[in-house]
Amino acid sequence: MSDHTQANHTADHAPGPQPGATDVARALLRAEGIGISFGGLKAVQGLSLAVPPGGLDGLIGPNGAGKTTAFNLLTGVYRAQTGSITLDGRRIDGLRPHQIAKAGMARTFQNIRLFGNLSVLDNVRLGAHVRGRHTLVGTLFRTPAYIAQERAILARARQLLGVFNLLSRADEPAKSLPYGDQRRLEIARALATEPKLLLLDEPAAGMNPQEKRDLARTIQRLRREFGVGVLLIEHDMGLVMDICERITVLDHGEVICHGVPAHVQNDPKVIEAYLGEPG
Amino acid sequence: MGTLFDATFFDTMIASVAVGSLYALIALGYTMVYGILKFINFAHSDVFVLGAWTAFTTTTALIAWTGLSAAGAPWWLGPIVLGVAMVVCGVTAFCIERFAYRPLRKAPRLNVLITAIGVSLLLQNFNQLPPAPGLARTATVSFPFGPTPKTMPELLPDVILNESIIATGTLGGGERRGQVLLDRAVTVLPGRTYRLDVTRQTEAGPVVARFNLNNPPVGEVQAGTPLVTQPLRPPAEMQGLAYVLVQVPAVTIRLVDVAIVGTAAVLMVGLLWLVFRTRLGAAMRAVSFSIENAALMGVNVNFVISFTFVLGACLAAAAGFLYPIKYPSLQQPASDVWVLLGLKAFVAAVVGGIGNIRGAVLGGFLIAFIEFFGETYLSATIGSGLQDIYVFTTLILVLLLRPAGLLGTPVREKV
Amino acid sequence: MSAIHELTQKNRPGVGLTVAHTAALVGLVLGTGAVMQWVVGPAAGIYPATILRQIGIVAIAAVSLNIVNGYTGQFSIGHAGFVAIGAYAGGAVSFYANSLGWVGAYDPAGLLTPGHAVMLAGAAIGAGAAGAAGYMVGLPSLRLRGDYLAIVTLGFGEIVRVLFQQTQSQVFDPQAARALPISGWWPPPLGGAQGFSSVIPYGELFWIYAALALTVVWCYRLKFSSSGRAFLSIREDEIAARAMGVNLTRYKVRAFVLAAALAGLGGAFYAHLNLAVQPKDAGFQKSFELIIIVVLGGLGSISGVLLAAFGLGGLTEWLRQPTSVWPAALVALALVGVVQAVRRDIDSRARGRAMGRALLVIGVLTGLFEGLRAFAAWQGFKLDDIRIVLYALALISVMLLRPQGLLGTSELWLVPGQLMRRKAKAAAAPSLRTAGPADPAAAPATGVGGMGGGVTEAGGDEGWP
Ligand SMILES: Nc1ncnc2c1ncn2[C@@H]1O[C@H](COP(=O)(O)OP(=O)(O)OP(=O)(O)O)[C@@H](O)[C@H]1O
Ligand SMILES: [Mg+2]
Repeated sequence: MSDHTQANHTADHAPGPQPGATDVARALLRAEGIGISFGGLKAVQGLSLAVPPGGLDGLIGPNGAGKTTAFNLLTGVYRAQTGSITLDGRRIDGLRPHQIAKAGMARTFQNIRLFGNLSVLDNVRLGAHVRGRHTLVGTLFRTPAYIAQERAILARARQLLGVFNLLSRADEPAKSLPYGDQRRLEIARALATEPKLLLLDEPAAGMNPQEKRDLARTIQRLRREFGVGVLLIEHDMGLVMDICERITVLDHGEVICHGVPAHVQNDPKVIEAYLGEPG
Repeated sequence: MGTLFDATFFDTMIASVAVGSLYALIALGYTMVYGILKFINFAHSDVFVLGAWTAFTTTTALIAWTGLSAAGAPWWLGPIVLGVAMVVCGVTAFCIERFAYRPLRKAPRLNVLITAIGVSLLLQNFNQLPPAPGLARTATVSFPFGPTPKTMPELLPDVILNESIIATGTLGGGERRGQVLLDRAVTVLPGRTYRLDVTRQTEAGPVVARFNLNNPPVGEVQAGTPLVTQPLRPPAEMQGLAYVLVQVPAVTIRLVDVAIVGTAAVLMVGLLWLVFRTRLGAAMRAVSFSIENAALMGVNVNFVISFTFVLGACLAAAAGFLYPIKYPSLQQPASDVWVLLGLKAFVAAVVGGIGNIRGAVLGGFLIAFIEFFGETYLSATIGSGLQDIYVFTTLILVLLLRPAGLLGTPVREKV
Repeated sequence: MSAIHELTQKNRPGVGLTVAHTAALVGLVLGTGAVMQWVVGPAAGIYPATILRQIGIVAIAAVSLNIVNGYTGQFSIGHAGFVAIGAYAGGAVSFYANSLGWVGAYDPAGLLTPGHAVMLAGAAIGAGAAGAAGYMVGLPSLRLRGDYLAIVTLGFGEIVRVLFQQTQSQVFDPQAARALPISGWWPPPLGGAQGFSSVIPYGELFWIYAALALTVVWCYRLKFSSSGRAFLSIREDEIAARAMGVNLTRYKVRAFVLAAALAGLGGAFYAHLNLAVQPKDAGFQKSFELIIIVVLGGLGSISGVLLAAFGLGGLTEWLRQPTSVWPAALVALALVGVVQAVRRDIDSRARGRAMGRALLVIGVLTGLFEGLRAFAAWQGFKLDDIRIVLYALALISVMLLRPQGLLGTSELWLVPGQLMRRKAKAAAAPSLRTAGPADPAAAPATGVGGMGGGVTEAGGDEGWP
């Protein structure tokens, strides 16, 4: 299906870089010292991240550590007050969210934000929107370019729904899906934007162990098939330690640890931050 | 600079303050409801109109029943009328909240907004239906109020507070029509206007007629010098009448304006006290912060919300009572005049920062200032009759520069 | 090179499909006009035809407003401003073209005289002017949400009203118009506070319904297109839409421009039907009337809005001359009976309940209408006089009882599919089905912003490709 997609994103670098590297020479995403404060609260402070192309990194930390805020900074929901962000060598800080999506970063939301009254299929089709050109006149006269693009979007959306086993529910309103399916639909929708980097905000929240295992497999498969890099926020340590190549730990908006899972797991600061939670 | 602060300036200023305090009174109702329920109560301006018409109906009814003369109403009529207007508006607002808005409290805001538009249309158009057959229907008193404009009886005499009497006495007739002779010497200052109040005895009692003096000679004017007045009455009719010669101040301060500003000020201070100094006010602020949390803390949310509606309605009723005292011609309830007036009050609330009580007051005065000063000083260059454009342009500019209004705090949606 | 782009390049169809779709568009537009002009119009008679023309124009304005308020979820309450701009522009173009002697006198028999050509050009200018105004109103919509945007649009309508009041007086004398120097045309002689009158009656059934058909087809194709999905996504969740790459500014402005242009088109015909335009026509009272229609029909539903426009138009006429509603009630009952009998999505007990409910609703409505008629006759007043009061009551009742409006976001032609298919799927996933808006047995009391459970677009029913 997506030979061309894969070729697009991974033509000049092999997927799956050396796990364990704390820094990477040619990062897909590089954030340097980004930060924001709300009133007096420093939600994120001096956060630096580097995700290699096709990498799978984790961002963890206790509740309220600033993980979601970091995603919001990366995707332009909030404008970073300090620091710089580059995606694939291009500065993206200061761009607006839709421009960042176009530049190749897509995300899911911690509190699911699907288009609830739109069908499952339409949710994914909307994701593909950013890769097309859309005119009102084309809509009225249904020009050949419009028809072709509409078909392409439909085909692509069906393909993605197939990957996530959602094809049978394509016509149902998104809000009628069970929770786990909604989370997976959000990922499918994000993938439809053809991102180079996918930000997943607690994708396993509310899933049972079986669903979590499936999710882990799906994430691995996405990296293989779509060549997409993943940055993952997750509270399930088992999942994170299993699949992430590098992990950054945030606490009170600041990075307290960064490294391979084995290193992070044994860092006393991390254990302290989680205060008894299995690190 | 000297010419900037001339009489025109101060006249405009007084008009702005008077009308601004009316806007502020109405804007407070908008803002309080928004602060608590986060929706625009479109029907609020119609509560204000209801207040005005209730004031009119009560006044005419009282005058008819007590047999008072329509001209000089006693001082206690005003407070009674105000009280009735407040009760009627308060009950109406309570019912609106209870039956139209409360069932929708958990619904999306758009639904409530549309309902509010519906309630507004209902109030406007119901109130201007022809009087119901069964209900009291006299020549002046009717409910609903009917589709014709009415004129508000004079509740306050039109008194200029800062005018000075420079002579009193008995008139002598001149030689020609419109000429009068004073029986004593007066000093006429250059550039001022003078008014002659002449009292005539009729069967119904004394009647005061007011004449302006046309170009009186400046300086010391001897007794018996002929002065020219406006109405060209035969000299014989004027002779022997008691007169009062009044020097009209350059800037007139009218009792009406003072009463309006005074009443509004008292109400606003009372409201601020209520909201910021009492337990009930604390409950209101708590509910406006978060309905759920306030309920958890034991605040009776339904009561507080009803109370807020009634409070806002009382302020609107006061504005509705004061407005026709200044502008006695009362348009029919669905008239554009009312809608525009309510709209400007609403704009005032938004410009000041909707949800913010002090902002509503600030916005009310600001909008009135822009309206009156714009019309006075820009009409020569841009064109007259553009007040509404100034107001709405201000609104759009303020919203673009400070989307939450001047004193409002922007809320950021958490993602 | 994105995957979508490549797929698009690979499967580019010939122009055949486009030609077919465009032919369908032209056929629908001209066909609707022709049927109304030569079949419905003559059959209905002169007075009903005039009413039909009025309703057609209202429908154009309401369907276009639906793009902003229904699809995109923005709340505009200044739509009448756009209608008025189109009306003034269209009316002025054909009036002055006539008095300057560019076209001959009005010919009641013709449908495509030079005068009509000028009228159509005027309509295009009106649509363009309204679209430009829509652009200006759309821009602030990026920074303003919900209530605030509503206020700005309201202010916009008022500004338009005052600006039209400030225009010069109309030049009625052709001689004087011809002698007018260029500078005399500014400010435009649009009649000031008196309004612009003596417009030439080019607003025939044919043209009004052709314009309505164009509006409806465009809105329909839009709703099920990629641009339409962008609109809908903004309504559903702005933050998610943004994150998925939807340029909010562009799409909100687009929605405003298109809606305004179509409203302007309707406005141009309004001028040619009403023969006069007043500054008041831009005021919010007119806007509210449009909003009522959109809300009653269902925000986002084209067929719902059309139904509401025609229903309210019919109701207005009924209020003018109330007749017995029993025949209509019986027809409605029969229809409901047939629908309930053939629907396959519910079992017999639910069918019975749904039938009972429908009976109740129809009974209550019949009683209401008959009661009103009797009351008015007894008290000796005209129902027409309390028209707006009744509308207001209807609006409030709808918000309290059926907040999603008549059809929710669904479309009439999707309802049979929903009724027929539901059961099979329900068996597959028993607990997850929500009732569709067409299901009277379980109309969920969700709101306008997130309406009824029904699918917005059932796959395959969209008429695509
Ligand atoms: N828009 C905002 N305004 C004010 N404070 C905010 C805002 N967004 C986040 N915060 C605060 O910033 C801090 C970090 O929040 P954030 O949502 O990023 O935490 P998190 O690491 O994602 O936590 P969780 O694991 O619970 O999701 C919190 O204290 C939060 O209250
Ligand atoms: Mg979070």
